[in-house]
Amino acid sequence: MKAFQQNLEKLEKADTQVLGVSMDSPFSNFAFAQQNGVTFPLLGDWGGKVTREYGLLKKFDIEGVPMESARRATFLIDKSGKIIEEQVDSEAVDPSKTVAECERQKMKS
Amino acid sequence: MPGLSRPAAGQAKKPAEPLTLKVGDAAPDFTLLAFDGKDLKKVSLSEFRGKKNVALAFYVFAFTGG
Repeated sequence: MKAFQQNLEKLEKADTQVLGVSMDSPFSNFAFAQQNGVTFPLLGDWGGKVTREYGLLKKFDIEGVPMESARRATFLIDKSGKIIEEQVDSEAVDPSKTVAECERQKMKS
Repeated sequence: MPGLSRPAAGQAKKPAEPLTLKVGDAAPDFTLLAFDGKDLKKVSLSEFRGKKNVALAFYVFAFTGG
């Protein structure tokens, strides 16, 4: 989420709200945000309902203990609620494509 | 401890599965909670409709880097 924080000003200038989501509790996510200087909301998808709806629920195990988490992914959603760009796994870490697309949208409007 | 011959970290190397939601699809609406240090606040995707784009960034777990 640090990479998004570093690009937050550019994204906000391009009319874009950044929201982080994970299957942590909102309280863990708040502590995580504070530790990393993240100022945009980090939402807690307790139980993974939204993560599942977005097709990102990942099951794995650590030492034979079953776990579930979200897959790393970024969706850029336009003002009409439509997905206009998406990135998954390692490509979702660097937000520069998302920033570029937001700036393009801003120029169009 | 016995049985620790497992290869590193859960995910085996396999080709990335494509996402089920595609560019052009409507993003499913949701309402989730965020904590601001004092209160739990609801945040819905639909509150940004007509106002802002939303960069929705899913991550694996808090405190695990990235």
